Amino acid sequence: MTGAALSLAWGGWVAVGVALLTALAALRAGRIRRLAVAALALAPVAASSLLINALLPAGGGGLTTAVAALLRLLGATLPLTLLFATTEAPDLLSDLEARGAGRRAVFVLGAALAAVPRAQARAVDVIEAQRARGLDTEGSWRRRLHGMLPLITPLIIGSLAEVEDRTMALEVRAFGAPGRRTLLHQPPDSRGQQVARWATAALLVLGLAARAVAVAIR
Amino acid sequence: MIVLDEAAYRYPGSSAWALPPTSLELRPGEVVGVSGANERGKTTLCIVAAGLAPVTIGGELRGRVLIDGRRTVELAGHELAQRCGVLFDNPSVQLTGLHRTVYEEVAFGPCNLGLPAGEVHQRTRSALDLVAAEHLAGRHPGHLSGGETQLVVLAGLLALRPANLVLDEPTSRLDPERSLLVADAIARLAGTGVSVLLAEHDEELLARVCRRVIEL
Repeated sequence: MTGAALSLAWGGWVAVGVALLTALAALRAGRIRRLAVAALALAPVAASSLLINALLPAGGGGLTTAVAALLRLLGATLPLTLLFATTEAPDLLSDLEARGAGRRAVFVLGAALAAVPRAQARAVDVIEAQRARGLDTEGSWRRRLHGMLPLITPLIIGSLAEVEDRTMALEVRAFGAPGRRTLLHQPPDSRGQQVARWATAALLVLGLAARAVAVAIR
Repeated sequence: MIVLDEAAYRYPGSSAWALPPTSLELRPGEVVGVSGANERGKTTLCIVAAGLAPVTIGGELRGRVLIDGRRTVELAGHELAQRCGVLFDNPSVQLTGLHRTVYEEVAFGPCNLGLPAGEVHQRTRSALDLVAAEHLAGRHPGHLSGGETQLVVLAGLLALRPANLVLDEPTSRLDPERSLLVADAIARLAGTGVSVLLAEHDEELLARVCRRVIEL
């Protein structure tokens, strides 16, 4: 989070440093492939930024501005990608809860993290159901596009209906009970981790303050 | 004990009554079956009897529904949960999706109540034992079969130790062997004084565990 915030604030060499440090950490954690995919996913944004800033007269920023924007984006997104690539959602959620986050806030975050795989699973179900009814979802792009339309309605309506079911499901598990939940596992928190956490927090405060001063002087 | 006194219900935004005026009394330790074709209101009866409608999902309720002598509309959601557990016909939506193991999933309810950790563990183990699902404790909840999911969700409800249970087609995804396990679990629960409302298509199961069956 510190790296992402500093990259957004400073851009330039700070963002390059954050991106390189993230890449090294990903290499060590064996998640470099995932990070590379995330970086590649920024290609369309990079292309449009280049188009607007360097080639169109109305953009006006030039190649330097386009590269600077891309570096900021890389520095801000790669650390977050690495966070979610190396941290299991249940660990993140129980850690947040152990540090005093409310059960509703934790559940909302958990539901948001689970939303994408859940939507993917639902889409597969809908596609299979529609195929069983004879819908053609393969072949030319035109045919695929035509096949998409009957998938969208059941996907959206199904997702909305599931919200009500899940609300009821939480209620029948006493989710709304007052007071603090019992935590069965306290996430490990070594002395080294605590020091690193405080150090990055201090770095964040100093970095943002320095940026504010630099902007004020300029 | 669950009492429906001329209870009728319609869903939010609907002008039709999904549940016509219905009276029913479910005494402690009694298992009452509900049968009937699809769209006859079995699921609606289940969520009305458990108090979820209208407390959680809104809508209009006429007549009275009482759980252990208290009107459902006067109880908060977590109070209802401790008095009456509900198993939906699609159990996969009852998994929280927040846990890595079945054990943690089953412990979710007792943890919500803020019980001491020792009691949470004790309730969790005993609930898994009751539905013969101890062997699933270490598995990921998202990687279970439909039948296994049904058992795990049932264990999650039992861990709250409700005095009443409403089961909407609890064996719809189970093979005959597992259905027998659920039937045995229902009989055991009734033996401990838990009242059970069982909506089911399976006539054999209804005949096996129910003292009486209501046809919708």
